[in-house]
Amino acid sequence: MSLNTDFMVKVAQTAIQGVPVTLQIVLVALVISFPIGILFALIRIYRVKVLQRVVQFYVSLVRGTPIIAQILIVYSALPSLLNMIIGRAAFAINPIYYAYIVFTLNAIATLTEVFRSALQTVDKGQMEAGLMVGMQPRQTFWRIILPQALISALPNIANTTLYLIKNSSLAFIMSVKDITAIAKTEAAFNYNFLEAYLVVWVYYLIICYAAEVVFYLLERYFSKYRRPIKKTSGFNWLPFRIKQPKLERKQS
Amino acid sequence: MENIKLIINFLGQLLPAINITLIVSVSSIILGSLLGLLLAAARLSESVVLRVLASVYVSVVRATPAIIMIFVVYYGMPMLFNDWFHTNIDGWNRMYFVIIALTVLFSAPVSEIMRSAYESIAKGQMEAGLMVGMTPFQTLYRIILPQAFVVALPNFANSVINLLKEGALTFTIGVVDMVAKAQMIVANNSGGYAWQTYCALALIYWVISLAIDKGVSQVEKSYQAKRKTIAV
Repeated sequence: MSLNTDFMVKVAQTAIQGVPVTLQIVLVALVISFPIGILFALIRIYRVKVLQRVVQFYVSLVRGTPIIAQILIVYSALPSLLNMIIGRAAFAINPIYYAYIVFTLNAIATLTEVFRSALQTVDKGQMEAGLMVGMQPRQTFWRIILPQALISALPNIANTTLYLIKNSSLAFIMSVKDITAIAKTEAAFNYNFLEAYLVVWVYYLIICYAAEVVFYLLERYFSKYRRPIKKTSGFNWLPFRIKQPKLERKQS
Repeated sequence: MENIKLIINFLGQLLPAINITLIVSVSSIILGSLLGLLLAAARLSESVVLRVLASVYVSVVRATPAIIMIFVVYYGMPMLFNDWFHTNIDGWNRMYFVIIALTVLFSAPVSEIMRSAYESIAKGQMEAGLMVGMTPFQTLYRIILPQAFVVALPNFANSVINLLKEGALTFTIGVVDMVAKAQMIVANNSGGYAWQTYCALALIYWVISLAIDKGVSQVEKSYQAKRKTIAV
């Protein structure tokens, strides 16, 4: 294999400017869709009359269509729609806003399902116990139910984030200057596509693994209460340790 | 009303291109399942090397965007073949590259699904099968697999739908599938009726995934019923 290494270094340097853009898209989509996802999940769980149908339809529509189709629809429909409302200024909008819209819509659908299954894992007794001690239903939800549900939702949220990171590579179709777009334009000069994409691949691997590590740490931090205080399973090696543990050690 | 009429019209124009999408999806599902089976076997095997290799492969592929995988395969494989086997595969049908890329992408989640399904079956089942004098292969084939199949089915369907959606990226390397066809139609109308065309495209994909969903839940239900009757 004869890879043009000089070119790869050059692409690596220029494509790094796209990393913040990718992260921005992912973060904005996650932050906006988080509360809406919880709301939609509650609508599904409590079977709010008409809204439930609407949410169900929306989720199935978004999950059943390729993200590329969503991108193409939004990118073709929205500018002309905005053009009718605010006139010529619509074509000067930074395309990253369209990317925000597409990926937020996408994340809402996935997160709705994630929260729905997570909220259902919390036992009904928790709610009853909260009401029992005199909390209001809303208080019980915010203080008792939601924290527990979020923890069981964390692995799935991590998955959603990974999907978002991976799918954000399609933002180049909307001429957003993310990692893929920069590498593509760099490569187009000399037809060095393979080198450029290999570099981009490494970037995505790094971002994805970083996200996985962050979520792993979050999960470990928030599920502290679940772990047993002492390791109960297996043989107790403690008396045979050379280094005796302190008596009042912090539980980890 | 006008829009709906347009969308129906575009549906008629897009549907002939569906066979490319279906060929690509079905062949990568079959090949990817086989590769996934091998990977699952490697992850369950006793050899440390195989286990580590398989898990590294799975975690790398899982973190790769579909479009990057397609591009790397499309641009990288001809080079690789040129250097290692001194054969020129530039003239290959571009569909093959997409199928290879999607096979690789599909094999990772499928291997995980197969592994977790296999592990979800209690070990006693295998032991009981061996106990009554079945050979290990027979036990696997007759006792473990039917049970694991039911466990794996919902997740497998999910991956298939994901694959279908990733398959929509085929157009990026110039295969004329439905997305490319839609873009051509838009270009022919010099940019007009764009969102109606793409809505028709989305509609087709939606119907396919709904059909997969429904079909799988039907199969699942029938299996559940069978399980119950045996249990009673």
